[in-house]
Amino acid sequence: MKKLAVGFYAMIVVALMIWGFYQAMYVAPDDAMQGYISHIIYYHVPAASLSFLFFAVSLIGSIGYLSFRRSNPERAQAYDAWALAGAEVGVVYCTVCLTTGPLWGRRAWGIWWTWDARLTTTLVLWLIYVSYLLLRRFAAGPQVQTLAAVLGIFGAVDVPIVYMSNRWWRTQHPAPVFGGNGDSGMAPSMKHVLLWNMLSWLAWGILILGLRYRTEREHQKNAHQEAMEALEAKI
Amino acid sequence: MDERSILDHQFVTAAYVVTWVIQLGYLAYLGLKWRAEKRKARSGNPR
Repeated sequence: MKKLAVGFYAMIVVALMIWGFYQAMYVAPDDAMQGYISHIIYYHVPAASLSFLFFAVSLIGSIGYLSFRRSNPERAQAYDAWALAGAEVGVVYCTVCLTTGPLWGRRAWGIWWTWDARLTTTLVLWLIYVSYLLLRRFAAGPQVQTLAAVLGIFGAVDVPIVYMSNRWWRTQHPAPVFGGNGDSGMAPSMKHVLLWNMLSWLAWGILILGLRYRTEREHQKNAHQEAMEALEAKI
Repeated sequence: MDERSILDHQFVTAAYVVTWVIQLGYLAYLGLKWRAEKRKARSGNPR
């Protein structure tokens, strides 16, 4: 029954992805100023926004792990799995953002990269969570999960800084389209395409987040089993 | 189609292809990881 539900959800996700792609490539009009290159925003903006969401999942998982690691270790392990899954999926989305952005910038600005506040803080965010994943991959010992949770919490501090960077400082990166000043906004014909792509990438992200969580829980079970067997062998 | 339009089209295509390569690559990595964990669990000897 569970497999059937996951399969059904995956089918909905695929349908949404195809619909979002069709809307972005064939329905959305070209921007009056930028021309056809503006179509990159239908993949770039959802990737950037949703990476924040997945880093928030990682933050909640990290806080949960630190809160329950002594009182309820089983629950803490579940939180830890969410923290890892959120960080990993967040890095994937942030990587998409950091590769599609320069492709747009090369055509719109004539340069691949500039050290303005939005781009730099996003790169720092990506580096923090890559270091989080490297820590989890290569460090060993009982303190790894605790250290990773602390790093995950500190890493999340950069998320609001990235979000506010083009409001606080003058940046080359375009001003916020949503939630900006009075001049901000988007033509309805472009806005609905962006929203469809937001929805489809959100659905995709939830799917891979769930898969990553299940994989990590399976890994935890195997590691626990391995530890128990090692203990029994000693006795 | 002028040169500017052709280049714009190539850059948009590159952005979409890169996005899908990253996302599907990650999905493939997850699939392999999931299979490895399931194998470990089935073998009963997680080493």
